[in-house]
Amino acid sequence: MPETRVLFRHIDDPQLATIEGYRRHDGYKALERAFRELDPSDLLAAFEDSGLRGRGGAGFSMGKKGSFLPRGEMRKYVCCNADESEPGAFKDRELMMKNPHQLIEGVAIASLAVGASHAFIFIRGEYWEVADILDRAVAEAYEANYLGPNVVNSGAKVELVVHRGAGAYICGEETALLDALEGKRGNPRLKPPFPAIEGLYGGPTLINNVETLSNLPHIVNNGANWFKSFGTEQSPGTKVVSVSGCVERPGNYEVELGIPSRELIFDLAGGPAEDRRVKAWFPGGSSSPVLTEAELDLPYTFEDLAEAGSMLGSGSIIVADDTVSVPELALRTARFYHHESCGKCTPCREGTNWTVKMLERITRGEATPMDLEIIASVQENIIGHCLCVLGDSMAMPVGAMVAKFRDEFEAAIEAARRPGAGDFDLSPIDRPLTTGVSAP
Amino acid sequence: MNERPQVTLVVDGLEVQATEGEMLVDAAKGGDVEIPVFCYEPKLGGPVGACRMCLVEIEGIPKLQTACSTPIRDGMVVYTGTDRVVEAQNAVVEFLLVNHPLDCPVCDKGGECPLQDIALGWGPGRSRVTDPKRHFRKPAPLSPLVRIDRERCILCYRCVRFSQEVAEDEQLQLLERGASSYVGTFDERPYIAPFHGNIIELCPVGALTAEAYRFRARPWDIEDAGSICTLCPSQCNVKFTVRDERVQRVLARDNHEVDNGWLCDKGRFGFQMISSEERITTPRLNGNRADWPTTVATAAQRLGSGERRIAAIVGGQVSNEEAYLVQRIVRGALGSPHVTSADELPAGPVARLSAPELGAAISEIESVESVLLIGADPLNSMPILDLRLRKAVRHSGLRLVVASERPTALDGGAEETARYAPGDSADFLTALAAELGPDPAPESPHAADAERLAGELRPGKTLVIWGERLGRGPRGETALGSLLEIVGALDCSAAGGGVFSVPDGSNARGAREVGCLPGSGPGFASVEDGRNLEAIKQGLTDGELDGVILLHADPVRDLPDGPGWARALNRARTVLSISCFEDASTKAADVVFPAEAYAEKEGTVTHPDGRLQRLRPSVPHPDDVRPIWQALAELAAALGHETEIDSAPEALDAIGAEVPFYAGLTPEEIGGTGVRWQDRPEASAWATPDHGSPEAATAASDPGTEPAEGLRLGTYRDLWAGEVTDRNVALRFLAPEQRVELAPADAERLGLGDGDEVEVRSNGTGVRARVQLRERLRPGAAYLIEGTATDNANVFSRVRSVEIEKR
Repeated sequence: MPETRVLFRHIDDPQLATIEGYRRHDGYKALERAFRELDPSDLLAAFEDSGLRGRGGAGFSMGKKGSFLPRGEMRKYVCCNADESEPGAFKDRELMMKNPHQLIEGVAIASLAVGASHAFIFIRGEYWEVADILDRAVAEAYEANYLGPNVVNSGAKVELVVHRGAGAYICGEETALLDALEGKRGNPRLKPPFPAIEGLYGGPTLINNVETLSNLPHIVNNGANWFKSFGTEQSPGTKVVSVSGCVERPGNYEVELGIPSRELIFDLAGGPAEDRRVKAWFPGGSSSPVLTEAELDLPYTFEDLAEAGSMLGSGSIIVADDTVSVPELALRTARFYHHESCGKCTPCREGTNWTVKMLERITRGEATPMDLEIIASVQENIIGHCLCVLGDSMAMPVGAMVAKFRDEFEAAIEAARRPGAGDFDLSPIDRPLTTGVSAP
Repeated sequence: MNERPQVTLVVDGLEVQATEGEMLVDAAKGGDVEIPVFCYEPKLGGPVGACRMCLVEIEGIPKLQTACSTPIRDGMVVYTGTDRVVEAQNAVVEFLLVNHPLDCPVCDKGGECPLQDIALGWGPGRSRVTDPKRHFRKPAPLSPLVRIDRERCILCYRCVRFSQEVAEDEQLQLLERGASSYVGTFDERPYIAPFHGNIIELCPVGALTAEAYRFRARPWDIEDAGSICTLCPSQCNVKFTVRDERVQRVLARDNHEVDNGWLCDKGRFGFQMISSEERITTPRLNGNRADWPTTVATAAQRLGSGERRIAAIVGGQVSNEEAYLVQRIVRGALGSPHVTSADELPAGPVARLSAPELGAAISEIESVESVLLIGADPLNSMPILDLRLRKAVRHSGLRLVVASERPTALDGGAEETARYAPGDSADFLTALAAELGPDPAPESPHAADAERLAGELRPGKTLVIWGERLGRGPRGETALGSLLEIVGALDCSAAGGGVFSVPDGSNARGAREVGCLPGSGPGFASVEDGRNLEAIKQGLTDGELDGVILLHADPVRDLPDGPGWARALNRARTVLSISCFEDASTKAADVVFPAEAYAEKEGTVTHPDGRLQRLRPSVPHPDDVRPIWQALAELAAALGHETEIDSAPEALDAIGAEVPFYAGLTPEEIGGTGVRWQDRPEASAWATPDHGSPEAATAASDPGTEPAEGLRLGTYRDLWAGEVTDRNVALRFLAPEQRVELAPADAERLGLGDGDEVEVRSNGTGVRARVQLRERLRPGAAYLIEGTATDNANVFSRVRSVEIEKR
């Protein structure tokens, strides 16, 4: 099956990032129609009816989330989560770089639908180039009266601010994003209250991912039924999937949900190099439990991946071929989450820290197979016990790796214990962290 | 207050009744089920759910939930001991111990450590951790009073939340992230803030320890004795930790009606003075050690010959019993009417302001719509009140309105603030009274400010908190008259709003209610008018008075015109000083009774909101110190006035017999948490006494209102200026040197900069000070601290303006 381009339809037009280029492809038609002709509650109903599920990771119905916000006149907010930080995910980056107006149109439509007059795009600090593009596009949209105190003279107000984060993975967690946006240390908040009830500055807040919001203009233009004609019943629509790792043609591919994963990895991304085979693959970013070669034929949907014990997450496939050491992959994954843990809750802070120390012991030849039991049990002790999902994001893939590649771990433990065996050859960026802190 | 419904839930198979919306962890206690917690502490505000210790299983919810943040609902079914829950609890304890050193045998918290208890009760019992733990320099000083052992820290956030959300000093932060997180301050600066000692008690592990208590005792060596801290009018409920008959530390004893479970650093660390080597521990006659019988007999003989020419001044630290007995000796045994308090106020208006129908409890701050705080900076004179007001602004939407001479620590949270110049408080009150009153307000320079403030204050919804200094000085009576008008216009009553005052002296209210004001006897009874402080000083100086009794009073240091008081005491034929320490006034005393420290006293005190509380002796009297009520009763007897008081409770009985609204009070009724006399049926015996109408007195003009050259002088109490700081080694670093606060505009005009050393002068008198610029200060005034050990601002008597020169 080839790509099915909706969000990416004119992505190769170099003029698409400008307002003229976007309008040449019927851009802002949906906004004009929504603001001039449509009732906000009909809009929300259409989004809910379309079955559009959040593209940021949790896969929650966008329309339903919007309907949780209280009605009536009050300070409400829309926040676009553009803090794309999950290893393996880079789809939002391309969407914003090449088609920023599609997102701005989506943000404005979402604001209208929930009755918010203020909207923010929280973009990760490292995407400075993308943020510059967004800034220019937002200025153009204000100029053209698609944003501002009286959007397309409809009487509705939408103010949009592009806010650059300071570069922390945790700020992609919606409540940590809100804290960071308010100028505080980006730590997750206790839920409930959920942001839809009490979010930014205590006001009801809709938070959605870049790709989710980019879908809205298309649903307004073509209707919910059109949207449902793509994908499966539980996973309607198309999805931009980032494929990376051991594949010949890494990149973003927009496909109809439900496509066999094998087609995505092999037909579109070219599969691993000749003579190599897929050993393990993350279907939804580094936080998704790894799958094996035997699971390559799973349809790429929220429900099928969940049933297989993994998740679609942000829609980012990372492929590891048979040259990759799974224990090393586990250590890299664990280190990432250990580094990014905010430290607020115990299981994540201590669990990621302890896991890294144990995995490092394997590389140093100081582990025994008994440690594998402890590693596995520690992952179980983290899952479901944390304040937010960051802890789970390490525990799920690491747990899955230990469970599915136990033989390889045992062999690695054995190999590293042999006299003369050095540490794993880790790339410089992955040199051991100082897990003992030498602060004051 | 709208009552929330009672609901029933099932915890581990037991039906539990609780209030809807209560957190599960609290509701479960009703079923005798303890759910372990580290980060949960309701005093700190809403739950944060960080430690994850309190995970429980709730029917119908797939994931385990934190009991600290789950409000209960009717019919909820909760399990706290299923395999899943136990596994989660074991896991969290194990995680906490990944980095926590197992150094319990040498840890100060050992034996009273929540982590120890929870590890024993809910932990896995064995450790699987073989990896190295994180290391920090230990134990590093967080401040001169508190040490931090970051290796022991379990990052529960309690101390940080206290700093950020309760004290709002915002100095403590979590630095770094993840497993590298640690508690600290910006740039490793010392955490110096008036309430920071509370973090020691909040810490659930041995990470935060008091410098003064480290390695002093083990929990099995100590006993905790409940009493009251009388170092300021907050009268916080405390526990004295006693080992070997010495107070080793002071802990909070939660009383929502008084202190909300917090202590200020003065109360927490000010206990070293109790066992100080500098204490006066024997009676003294003419500077020589003497025994009690001789001393009492001599005192009786010297005072008795003076008869009506003897005066008495009681200080803030007195108990009701002591104050009552002093006034009884002077009025009853010596027939002299000259009894007053260092916190002297005109009896008429203060009695009217003390009426039970006006009196508000301090906790009502959290339920009223607005508070008018006028003429007081709680942080300096009644610190816990500052925290209570902050809490109400933060959590119950209180609208705070502040009017004061100097900027207060609470201005940041206030809806409106107004400043008036030193000496203008009476005019300001008059303007505000006029603004709130029915008649059109007359012209006043304060009219605009008054209008602004009045706009925030709704009748029947406002609590008025007034600083007792408003009633001092020649225009005090006018000021309190206007305050009464304001209270009337705002319809303040105990039913909605109300009134209470912020005194300087800890038990100022008790002292005046038992009769220590000129012309006002026990229960504000009208008695023969006596000399006020100024007239006593004058009388002693010119020989019209023979002598004076000073009970916990040091006029040379604490009252205006210190040098004048020193002259007066030196001229006096006899001075009986009852004091813990040798001070400026004791030096002039021919008879000295050693006073009890507050932890040694038995008796009662009265909170500014009318709550009577019990002082209970927690440590024995050192050396030859005896209860003062006893010494005073003996002195009265030696003067031929038998009081028949042989115990502290009998002294309370005697008070009850004379103060109608204290009638029948017993130590048992007061109990551990105190009782507001306004809440007792005996309060109906209150009859506002007739001490003359305040209006009659308004004619007196202020001799000092002539327009002044230079800057107007204002003086204020600093939390750390005074005897408590001087007598506690640990606190001495906080004692302020004299500084003169100036508005930047004035400083620029005078060519002065921040930190300049200057001499502040008037009429040939001067003090040395260092310039401190304050942005929010009203230009045209200069402020000095009262009660400093040197360069005390009270050398200026009745001075309205000063000149400042660089040294």
